[in-house]
Amino acid sequence: MNPLIRTPKRWLGMLLMLLLVMTYLSIGIGAVWIGPAGIFEYIIGKEASGQAYIIENFRLPRIVVGLLAGTGLGLSGAILQGVIRNPLASPDVIGITKGAGLAAAAVILLYPGLPVLALPAAAFSGAALVMLGLYVFAFRRGVQPATLALIGIALGAVCQAGIQFLTIKFPLETNAALVWLTGSVWGKDWTDVLMLVPFILIGAPAAWLLSRKLDVLNLGDDVAEGLGEPVQKARLSLLALAVVLAGASVAVVGTLGFVGLIAPHIARQMVGNRHVYLLPASALTGALLLVTADSLGRGLFPPTEVPAGIFTAVIGAPYFLFLLRKIQKS
Amino acid sequence: MNQTLHRFKTGTVIVVGILLLLASFTASLSIGAYAISFSEVLSLLFSPDGSKASSIIDTIRLPRAVTGIVIGMCLAAAGAIMQAITNNPLASPQVFGVNAGASLMVVIGVVLFPGLGAGTLVYGAFLGAAVGGAAVYYMASTGGGMTPVKLALSGITIHLLLSSMIEGIVLFHETSTEDVLFWLAGGIDGRTWTDVNLLLPWAAVGLAGAGILGKPLTTLGLGDDVAQGLGQKIGWIRGGAALLVVVLAGISVAVAGPIGFIGLIIPNIIRKLLGPDYRILLPVSALYGAVLLTSADVLSRFISYPGEAPVGIVTALIGAPFFLYLAGRGGRNG
Repeated sequence: MNPLIRTPKRWLGMLLMLLLVMTYLSIGIGAVWIGPAGIFEYIIGKEASGQAYIIENFRLPRIVVGLLAGTGLGLSGAILQGVIRNPLASPDVIGITKGAGLAAAAVILLYPGLPVLALPAAAFSGAALVMLGLYVFAFRRGVQPATLALIGIALGAVCQAGIQFLTIKFPLETNAALVWLTGSVWGKDWTDVLMLVPFILIGAPAAWLLSRKLDVLNLGDDVAEGLGEPVQKARLSLLALAVVLAGASVAVVGTLGFVGLIAPHIARQMVGNRHVYLLPASALTGALLLVTADSLGRGLFPPTEVPAGIFTAVIGAPYFLFLLRKIQKS
Repeated sequence: MNQTLHRFKTGTVIVVGILLLLASFTASLSIGAYAISFSEVLSLLFSPDGSKASSIIDTIRLPRAVTGIVIGMCLAAAGAIMQAITNNPLASPQVFGVNAGASLMVVIGVVLFPGLGAGTLVYGAFLGAAVGGAAVYYMASTGGGMTPVKLALSGITIHLLLSSMIEGIVLFHETSTEDVLFWLAGGIDGRTWTDVNLLLPWAAVGLAGAGILGKPLTTLGLGDDVAQGLGQKIGWIRGGAALLVVVLAGISVAVAGPIGFIGLIIPNIIRKLLGPDYRILLPVSALYGAVLLTSADVLSRFISYPGEAPVGIVTALIGAPFFLYLAGRGGRNG
């Protein structure tokens, strides 16, 4: 067997390595620079210069949140692109993140005094409400992928109108809302990690177990039904899973765009269309993107931090355009 | 018989539109933090007497109302043209990334080069509108024809990209955050005669061009093959139409910010009422675009009374559910 042949499994291994390296380096990046050697000393427990406090309380939690949220968004995007059978689908585009954004903006702007937990809870329910809207408007008519996408976009527009209304009507907290809406892992601590962990730990394996259903759905409704797959039911459960993964991620990091859109594309370039490989590859790519974007945001203009959401958009969108060109040519 | 009926219907729709426009125009002059009664508005409009009410009308309310009428016409016409050339009911300056592109250029101009005048910003808006629209058109036409879904997905993707760039710029210039956010919602309050003077020539060119294109656009609606067979140069028509959209939408954004949904709602309703003849559809859409924007502007004065709220919020609150309705039918025509 030729070791140079790039099988999906090898790609997954490479992604994992890359992610580990990036995570390792990311610990050191920021206003206080910690070299790779220093990080190693911290890991083996021999760190002496007082940087352990920074690593433990500031760097590590936000990196872990980035990893988890990137995983959630990447998976969610891969599932949605499979269910809607459109490479442009993603949690941002079909309104799930906008729903979370509206609920979060309402909490930040209307009830700034609520406890910290209220924000992610509200964001999660916002995402769930959009899902409910999708169900009411799209599923009752026997859902078609096209209708689903259009209705998602329209619901997103409704939420966007609401967000705009709130930010104009209550201008005092606008900047806080704006930072949240851009998406960032700034200032995340271990509580955020704990909030996110259960969703990803349950959602990710669940998605992976359903990967065969996604493969079957991709063959088209008729073939899928012929193969004995209850199409509507499969679609509904996969969609719910996508909402849970994206909703939980957005609830913690804000409406961070483009990760859910481009992570599955990058993954597809490497491992192909089979969801058994595509889903884990999307998860790894999503995590890698988010951790890289956050490292850039921290490292480029210290001590100023650029929200990771701006980087994911600035990196993501041109790449996406390039990709479409490629799809068109082939 | 059928034709007479259609003419009667068209006539009714136009007369009702004109009446509605007069009503909303008068309301726009009368309603606000300083209320002026309808009868007073009418007499002051034709014989200004230098009183407080008269000067409010002359310097504040009238330019604002005129701006609203003209921009409403531009946006609705732009939407109608876009729907004609793409043969897609979801096409509109907002869905097509035209508004977002123009906004980005204007925000860059305002925040990074504060010395630029409004006259220069207009060209930035044109450039942004053209680039945004071209990007979406390009993306939506990849891999076969442009379906409503592909258009909407491409449009929203470009929109997300451009707006996160705008957000980035805004976040780093905190001093101007609130002003820019207000502008980004789209509003016509505080517009002066200077704005009207900037707006009018471009709008006149755009709307006149739209009038000329009415017939070729109708032919285009029969399908490219038929239109070609009837001797139409479809490449030229599409190109000219795209240029008009850039002018109409670009000047609107430059003067009033990205006011959404007018170009989406109005042409769809008018097409449903009067059919796809663009010689009628275009002017009537422009008329009702003016009605919608003027009355939305009146409504916007109640949102945070006595303060002002951008009219774009009102059009979005009306328009987004309408978009949902269109989407529910799979974005099909008729």
